[in-house]
Amino acid sequence: MEIYAQIADEIVKGQADSVKELVNRALSENISAEDILNNGLVAGMNVVSEKFKNNEFFIPEVLVSARAMTAGLNIINPLLAEANVKAKGKVVIGTVKGDLHDIGKNIVGMMLQGAGYEIVDLGADVPKEKFIEFTQKEEANMVGMSALLTTTMIYMKEVIQGLKDAGLRDKVKVIIGGAPVTQAYADQIEADGYAPDAASAIDLAKDLLD
Amino acid sequence: MLAGQIPILSVEADTIPRAYEQAIKEVWEKGISIRTEYDRPEDPPSRDATVIIVVHEPFAQPRFHRSFADGLGGLAEYVMEVVHGAHDYWVKPLDEILKGKESKDTRWTYTYHGRLFQYRVEDQVIDQVDAMIHKLAQTGYTRRAQAITWNPKLDPPTEDPPCLQRMWGRLCEDGEGGYVFNMNTHWRSRDLFKAWFENVIAITTLMRAIAERIEKKMRAPVRVGRYADICDSLHIYGSYFREIEGDPEKGIKSFFEKLESRSFEERTWHSGFVKPYFIDDGLGKGLKPMLERETEMPAEVRQAIDKELRSMEKDDYIV
Repeated sequence: MEIYAQIADEIVKGQADSVKELVNRALSENISAEDILNNGLVAGMNVVSEKFKNNEFFIPEVLVSARAMTAGLNIINPLLAEANVKAKGKVVIGTVKGDLHDIGKNIVGMMLQGAGYEIVDLGADVPKEKFIEFTQKEEANMVGMSALLTTTMIYMKEVIQGLKDAGLRDKVKVIIGGAPVTQAYADQIEADGYAPDAASAIDLAKDLLD
Repeated sequence: MLAGQIPILSVEADTIPRAYEQAIKEVWEKGISIRTEYDRPEDPPSRDATVIIVVHEPFAQPRFHRSFADGLGGLAEYVMEVVHGAHDYWVKPLDEILKGKESKDTRWTYTYHGRLFQYRVEDQVIDQVDAMIHKLAQTGYTRRAQAITWNPKLDPPTEDPPCLQRMWGRLCEDGEGGYVFNMNTHWRSRDLFKAWFENVIAITTLMRAIAERIEKKMRAPVRVGRYADICDSLHIYGSYFREIEGDPEKGIKSFFEKLESRSFEERTWHSGFVKPYFIDDGLGKGLKPMLERETEMPAEVRQAIDKELRSMEKDDYIV
């Protein structure tokens, strides 16, 4: 099996130590960091993403694979920066103010990272000022907001208004998700997209950014 | 079954993952169709039943099912929340809780640890778990060792009142000079598909901690016995039906097809696999990252989690 396929396979299996070893071996064979990223790490996470979408993978398994991918990425990240390799796009994500639930947001972030996007994860309980600050500072292409409570999802509207007031709304796509969120709500607050689950969020983000 | 009657179902298994799978199958096939406060208008009614689930060996392997709505590091943090009160400091002040739905403060109204270990009655704070341990160590066969969570003043007006209502325990002699700690928990309401498993991992970890404290007090061996879990409403929310039923046209497997496509070993994990992820999942969750991230956590809670972390790093510790 060629080394790219081995890296991808070990990511699917969630074997972080094997991924590290294979990435180091690939680098010692003078394979470029960009090729390792695209043909090994991203390829592996694409399989995970597809399996998750088709309900063949459980959520914790996605995160075990994401850990393996991150282990490989940590090795090549300085080399990618040195070679000035650009990500496909930059996505600022966070769970809105007042809400401490972060699992849905984390999965979307991991999968998008695995698909070749750069993720700026603001964490949970994020105020609108922080969304605006990082959207501007990072020149993000997309903002992803998550909420798990009916009492906190209403804050998404405030963030979108904040982006409008800061003159950023036309420069970024906004997607929202979380248990109480609906398409009707997304339409009402003028988000660009809504996804009912993490797997659909990946497709939605790719459709809007590609 | 007479129309309008909620079915009463029972499940019995040796391990937690076996019990979990059986419970999902039972509620899906035999539950009643009924709405809940959390269903959105476009969701189908939830599937629901009154259910008693018995796990004979809560620490038998494999102990972990792979189907739950978090990562392993996140699960570890939740266990610390229930056993050591890691997030008691996220509970909002009493005057905000009393505002009920009018409160704009979105912090929590309770934690299980807070209610079990620091239950407030008028001006008193009662450690009910300590009282349980004391009572059981004194009179193992007592039927009075229990801890409650419900607060009739604080809970009815809130959006998310506690699901766990009561924890009850009793010791039986094991015939070899030691004791077996049996525990029951009673739940008002429970999300079977996305909360039951994590709840049970945390509650059985607490069960073991109680058994260890009784053992220390009695100076006689006390091992973890069977765990019984009784839910008035154990449900699968309508919003999960898409995930349970799948979509053959789009090639999306149903939950049951997913289970059938793998062996039991392939849909579960042993504690040994899980332990390193509990310590640090490499994605910012787990005991180590939690201690680094949550700088506002009170010192005594931090010490308890740090102690747990050091025990976890030893070979014989089972998560």
